Amino acid sequence: MQKKIVFTVNGDRVELSVEPNLTLLDLLKGQLGLIGTREGCDSGACGACTVIMDGAPVLSCMTLAVRCHNRNITTIEGLAHDGKLHPLQQSAIDHDAVQCGFCTAGWLLSAKVLLDNNPTPTREQVRTAVAGNLCRCAGYQRIEESILAVAEGRAKVQE
Amino acid sequence: MTLPKFDYAEPKSLRQASALLRQQRGKAMLIAGGTDLLQALKNRLKTPALLVDLKNIPRLDHISYSEKTGLQIGAMVSLRQLANSAVIKEKYPMLVEAALAVGTAQLQAMGTVGGNLCQDSLCQFRDRSPMARLMLEPCLKLGGHVCHAVSGSNKCWANYSGDLAPALLALHARVTIADSTEKKKIPLSKLYSDDGKRPTRLRAGQILTVIHVPPPAPHSGSAYLKLRLRKTIDYALLGVALYLSMEDGDAVCKDIALALTGVGKAPFLVKEAEQLKGKQVGDAEIAQVAEAAFKQAHPLSNIGGLTPAYRKEMVRVYVRKAFGVALESAGQDA
Repeated sequence: MQKKIVFTVNGDRVELSVEPNLTLLDLLKGQLGLIGTREGCDSGACGACTVIMDGAPVLSCMTLAVRCHNRNITTIEGLAHDGKLHPLQQSAIDHDAVQCGFCTAGWLLSAKVLLDNNPTPTREQVRTAVAGNLCRCAGYQRIEESILAVAEGRAKVQE
Repeated sequence: MTLPKFDYAEPKSLRQASALLRQQRGKAMLIAGGTDLLQALKNRLKTPALLVDLKNIPRLDHISYSEKTGLQIGAMVSLRQLANSAVIKEKYPMLVEAALAVGTAQLQAMGTVGGNLCQDSLCQFRDRSPMARLMLEPCLKLGGHVCHAVSGSNKCWANYSGDLAPALLALHARVTIADSTEKKKIPLSKLYSDDGKRPTRLRAGQILTVIHVPPPAPHSGSAYLKLRLRKTIDYALLGVALYLSMEDGDAVCKDIALALTGVGKAPFLVKEAEQLKGKQVGDAEIAQVAEAAFKQAHPLSNIGGLTPAYRKEMVRVYVRKAFGVALESAGQDA
């Protein structure tokens, strides 16, 4: 039995009917064309599918689409504005914090939630915030540095 | 993996929710945060015909506190919300420690206090994909007749690993259980069975709605210590929660409760700790309590990470360490 939901994704209002057993991840990738969100473990352990829902980081693979009614969702496609990268994205490039790129969308969104709530985190707080985003290239050092650089205002702003 | 098909209901009252659960006895399940449930659904470990969502029931996501009655936490309060609550940070730091010890930032944002308390117990012989389950005869928790964790056992030994339960047990928490006709308040310890198959005693139609914690006593201290391989994501291979309060101006213990998780079928209070009431808390007394806790811990090889023998030995270590932290936070020299 399909159910109608209305929610906001990256500022756009979306209205559609979904089956109760559809995950938010499959809705974003399969029906809305927002393929930047990654499917990793599909079991809540790797963080690749992280999106922001009402200001909090959530795992889209473990979220039923039907529960997203009236929610406000940001995916990686919503991070840059008017063709200008988010400082975290620019910093990731500047610090070579991307290797295979599979975990990138997830940890960028986790980092955004951290900095939105705590603009000057410690290194330990950065580590805790992205601890739920596994990087199998083990590029953790550069991920940390790139987030801390934004926090400390040292990130190069895109020309 | 795709989710199996199910119907979905979002009732607006506890009465409706309870009625739905009872009508579909055994075929309907509650969904709170959904993090554990969706995993079990994907693996076809649970196959409910109906999911009853608690998210639209008013006031279940509220936190309130008064000096007189203490703390009330709605079952749908997220672990993130709990950890960010100014009053909980100030009055019940152990609850914040326990909430932040759960999973990851994402799981804390999604997971709820009620869901965390009512989480299912774990066993690596059961919690596997449908394909991997084909290699083993169905166990007791899957409706079969054998236990792969304790061979020859006619009881299920799945391990309870929740982090909030021991902290709330040590803080003398009570919980409100509602069904379609009444609400009752019971000590949290009475929520848990000693059955690995069903770690809580909730019957069809019963819903845990509110957690009540008495106000902390003056000169009180606490600690929650969690043993695991990684500092994040992992479930507790052992969790030790200690709460104590001291008499004004001396080293005599006024109130104390010690609870363990991750080393048995349910979280449990170590009753022997209560013998310290009215006594000075010295090394000999702490060693006695640690020994009692050690004896009551029954870690098995059904959750991975560290050997049962190591986890059991660490009970003594963590209890001693918890006393050090709790006494210090109560303003005593450890």
